[in-house]
Amino acid sequence: MCIDSQMLSAYLDGELKEPYRTQVIEHLEHCAACRKHLDDIRALSNRVRNTAFTEEELGRKKDAMLEMLDKKYFQNNKISFFRRRFEMSLPQMVTAAAAVVVIFVCGFMFFGSNPAQTDDILPSFAVPADSQNVRLVSSKSGSLDDYTLEEILQYLDAKGYQVDISIKGLQPIETPAQTE
Amino acid sequence: MEIKSTNRDDFRFIYEQNYHLIMQVTMHIVYNLGIAEDLTQEAFERFYVKNMTFPSEEEAKYWLLKVAKNLALNHINRNKRDIQLVEKVKKMPGKTVNNEDGQKQVIDEESRREVREAIAQLPENLRIVIQLKEFSGLDYKAIGKTLGISETNVKVRVHRARKKLEELLNTEDRDVY
Ligand SMILES: [Zn+2]
Repeated sequence: MCIDSQMLSAYLDGELKEPYRTQVIEHLEHCAACRKHLDDIRALSNRVRNTAFTEEELGRKKDAMLEMLDKKYFQNNKISFFRRRFEMSLPQMVTAAAAVVVIFVCGFMFFGSNPAQTDDILPSFAVPADSQNVRLVSSKSGSLDDYTLEEILQYLDAKGYQVDISIKGLQPIETPAQTE
Repeated sequence: MEIKSTNRDDFRFIYEQNYHLIMQVTMHIVYNLGIAEDLTQEAFERFYVKNMTFPSEEEAKYWLLKVAKNLALNHINRNKRDIQLVEKVKKMPGKTVNNEDGQKQVIDEESRREVREAIAQLPENLRIVIQLKEFSGLDYKAIGKTLGISETNVKVRVHRARKKLEELLNTEDRDVY
């Protein structure tokens, strides 16, 4: 029995699993028809590959695009509180694999002025600092980088919240060697 | 290596590694360099804006491929009425030849155009699979992950695409006689 073309196609792609692979190899050794069939599939595959666009054709904007994206996303003149803190004040945390900034907001305006008490009554919520949560506390759209810490504090203060900010570095269970 | 899409070094690394691949894939869907560039840029912007951490550079690659492919397909479907894909391929300017062996290059370019036209005639579900197979260097498993289909399904589609291409190209040969 000869090999069906789907199997040959998978064999050509190096995707045929044992024991089929060995069976195909053995069959090919003594069957000229299947060898011809395989050659045809290979020739077609090569023709298709040959229609690939060259890196030269595709790459004309590569460097300019990266530069543009780099400017847009990584060279923001207004350094955010979080980036500044992480770069300047907490060098050891920069090297930690993960760090989380947590903002605790307590609604003391409803329950008196004792924060400890408030903690007991009202579950304080902890928000990891990312762009999602700035929208949450400020109700304005935009990313975290659009606001300084001062602005966030002023906003919360104006709303009558007591704010406590803590920054934690999280050590992962196993630290894989970082490739530079 | 873990990849954080908003980390500058990680972003540059992923960009350098995948730019040509993303261009290749979008280009074979839209057949227009300027549009492919726009789509590629959008894919990388989404990558950043998404602010995700990937367990490996491969996972980041699959994500980018998936997004780029969907962006390109959306673009095509949105503009379907404007111009048929096959027509687009026909209208694509040939590559400029400045090789001393100019004659052979022209023939290559003709054959290439013929195959591209045949690929453009494949149904979408076969076309994307064979393009990823032949242009991306991804194996069946990775293609399956990118497209959200099973490895077996990839195998079947690669085979069907090849069979269909064989038919299309042979028919065109016969027309010559
Ligand atoms: Zn045989």
